[in-house]
Amino acid sequence: MSTDEEQRKRSTCISCHLNIQGISATRIILWLVAITIVSFVIGFGILALAGGFPPSADHPLTPFRNNALLTPNTTIIPLDGATSGDVRLTLGAGDLTLQGGAPDAALMEATVFTEAGIWQPNLALGANASQKSVVITEKGHAGKAWFAVDSPNRWEIRLSDTIPIRLDENVGAGDNTLSLGTLNLETLAVHTGAGDTTVDLSGYHGGRFDGTIKTGVGDLTLRIPRTSNTRIQVHQGIGDITENGFIRHDDTFVTPGFNTSIAVNQITLNQGVGSITLETV
Amino acid sequence: MLQTEAEYIRILKSRLEGTLPADELADILSDYSEHFRMGKANGRLEEELFRSLGSPEDVAREIRATHFVNKAESNKSCGNLLHAIGATLGLGLFNLVFVLVPFILLVVLLLVVFIFGIVFTVFGPAAGIYAILQILGIPAFAIWQSPLAGIFFSLGITTFGLLLVIGDYFLARFFYRVGIRYLKWNIGVIKGTECVA
Repeated sequence: MSTDEEQRKRSTCISCHLNIQGISATRIILWLVAITIVSFVIGFGILALAGGFPPSADHPLTPFRNNALLTPNTTIIPLDGATSGDVRLTLGAGDLTLQGGAPDAALMEATVFTEAGIWQPNLALGANASQKSVVITEKGHAGKAWFAVDSPNRWEIRLSDTIPIRLDENVGAGDNTLSLGTLNLETLAVHTGAGDTTVDLSGYHGGRFDGTIKTGVGDLTLRIPRTSNTRIQVHQGIGDITENGFIRHDDTFVTPGFNTSIAVNQITLNQGVGSITLETV
Repeated sequence: MLQTEAEYIRILKSRLEGTLPADELADILSDYSEHFRMGKANGRLEEELFRSLGSPEDVAREIRATHFVNKAESNKSCGNLLHAIGATLGLGLFNLVFVLVPFILLVVLLLVVFIFGIVFTVFGPAAGIYAILQILGIPAFAIWQSPLAGIFFSLGITTFGLLLVIGDYFLARFFYRVGIRYLKWNIGVIKGTECVA
């Protein structure tokens, strides 16, 4: 048999009689066509059920988000001469990270990672005497995140380290991480519906404050400076409490050297379902 | 200016040596010698025969082109096709337009389809991983409006990419067959002169 004949036979074998365990090339192609059509039909069907289809101004005819990777949208809120701040944050679904380090002369630097119009939060500003108030609200959405259109949402908030702040913060579903060590708090209210919460007051040297932390479903970690004069009242739900470095009296935990005759930071914990970890640092 | 039949055959032989197999070359030269012999027997002059056949250089080019096209037809490969196209281009400058341009356009088309196929085939699984990470709640990977739909779209994109690659293969085979026919037609049109069977 000549080389040409061998090559011709080999070519014919590959192109016309491709058999992988009895499956012909034609059958493979038909399967691929069927899978492609069914996949796209199911995909667009889910989009239709989730409200992302038919297309609208917010959701053009694409299964992808308006902007594929989240682009930050940063807003800086100036102090405008205020000597105290009142900050209220409501995030329906998403992750919230809050810490100090806002630029000079700014009460807040808010970076919101979302592009869809329906996920842009409402911003309300107010001023009362020497106090500046900021209310940022995002009501979230109905349905589970993995069905929903444009579900993940992330906020990164920086607050002023220089003025006393009343902080009221509410996350419906998502992780809630607060690093408050550099802030100067007057009051602290934290409420997490579902998700993990971390409140870190390491290095806190601000003024005395009263705090309330409520958790729905999820774990809570609270870090308090060992040298602070802090009392934590825990209303236990379902879950364990782990403490490290506190002195415990029933449901009350105090820092070492706790003294009621001087200013006391009072924190009330309302636990839903999940573990609580209390640490002195 | 050609003087003799022997000179004609010598030039033809020198132009075809190294291209055609020896036996095939011998057959062709024998055919041309026979053509001269028959022509003379019929009372035709050598000059007249030279004119009717065309110059030995042109005849050699046509024989080369026909040989390479036949070879590309019987033994399909990119190399043989390129040889056939190269030999056909040598038949006339106008073939730059009628052969080379369509060939380049077809190659670009096949290449674009292939690249798209590969991109879709690779992008599909990657986008599927992003959908899974989005379901797990990692915002940085949120590229889908709905991550669950994204998993199905990823699957569809992957299979569509595979179909493009496979389709490109069959498209290339189709263009190959059509291309060979076109080259044969092109050579036939150019051979306006008397030819030896």
